[in-house]
Amino acid sequence: MKELIVTFTLNGKKTSLPSYPNRTLLDVLREDLGLTGAKDACGGEGECGACTVIMNGKPVNSCLLLIGQVEGLQITTIEGLMNNGDYHPLQKAFVKAGAVQCGYCTPGAILAAKALLDENPHPSDQEIREGLSGNLCRCTGYTKMVEAVHQAEKGNADD
Amino acid sequence: MREFDYLRPVTITELKENLSQPGARILAGGTDIVPKMRQGKFSAPILVDTSGVKAMRFIEDQGHEIVLGALTTHQEMADSPLLRNINPALVTAAESIGCQQTRCRGTLGGNIANASPAADMLPPLLIFNASVLLQSLEGERRLRLEEFLSGPGETALKDGEFIHSVSFSPLTGTWGAVFIKVGKRSGMAVSVVTAAVGVQLDDAGKLGDVRIALGAVGPVALRCRKIEESLMGKTPEPALLKEISQSCQEEINPITDIRSSAEYRTHAAAVIIHRGLDEAVEQAKGRGY
Repeated sequence: MKELIVTFTLNGKKTSLPSYPNRTLLDVLREDLGLTGAKDACGGEGECGACTVIMNGKPVNSCLLLIGQVEGLQITTIEGLMNNGDYHPLQKAFVKAGAVQCGYCTPGAILAAKALLDENPHPSDQEIREGLSGNLCRCTGYTKMVEAVHQAEKGNADD
Repeated sequence: MREFDYLRPVTITELKENLSQPGARILAGGTDIVPKMRQGKFSAPILVDTSGVKAMRFIEDQGHEIVLGALTTHQEMADSPLLRNINPALVTAAESIGCQQTRCRGTLGGNIANASPAADMLPPLLIFNASVLLQSLEGERRLRLEEFLSGPGETALKDGEFIHSVSFSPLTGTWGAVFIKVGKRSGMAVSVVTAAVGVQLDDAGKLGDVRIALGAVGPVALRCRKIEESLMGKTPEPALLKEISQSCQEEINPITDIRSSAEYRTHAAAVIIHRGLDEAVEQAKGRGY
């Protein structure tokens, strides 16, 4: 099995790294790059969304992407949401609204919410629920997450 | 995950060449295959990653036919105004699959080639008499979708062959097409039973043409031809529709599995056929003038 050199943009930075092709983006993020925000909570079945990253503007499960498939694309992880040390409005809103309990699903949920808002800046409750339907949360019951997304889209997280 | 040689064609010609190698298999969105590879349920010495083959991602109105590239994603189909207009059942099905994350990756070709008995894209294509264009280094051939599906997880695809595109003709006149899905929850659910219903009303408001396809009630998605025949030419009255929906038992063969029982699937199939007929007729009346 030949090793690949995969070149892609990671959190705004052009990145080139070697990897065997039978690894997923999730493996590479966590094991090679130390970006452990994305998590494996379902055994790599693409069922839970805890591994969600944003790829060319779309939310995807990084556990379902073989590393060769990200060639030439733009990947944003939860670590890439910060801006000059300042938290993203969605991150602040999730904390402020009490939408974080154990925190395991949180990075994936925030990225799914970001992808939703980038597409639909003022979603309804139902649209938020549908947008988060790929992120399993066993703690919060989603109510506070919906509130947090509303707070973020109204720009109320900053105080 | 087992080792494999990884190939990444960019053109359809390269794809044909790559896939012609012994043991080569296609990877598209990976939503079915990657978990299976991890579990050891799927392996191939050569994996041909089609994510770069842009020429197979399209939705085209060719007048007499709508043609969909096999690499079109479920989200792209869900977002297509053209498709919503021409085959609303297909759009409803695409929207019902998985979640944001899986819809952005899962493809039409993958859903068809994986050929789950519960595959959501199949019933809405079956009611439009869709066909698939298969290509390989040897040439190409077109098969009706019904002929292409040969068993649970089995299709007529030969080694070296891939689905290039799917096509179907639009319905005309006073028509309606709906898709109803029953699952254990509203999102991220493998279907327990699905129904796609298409109707065309004649000038007298009777059922000129009826097409009903069910998923997850047999080894493959299927057309309920007996019910279709018994409804043709009839006036769509509630009592009749209900009675005839219940006769679907004769045409389906559901199993009991981890998701549901054969009894429930049989019961639910009749319910959603009836509901589908009602909704398709309403939609048709909305289109008629």
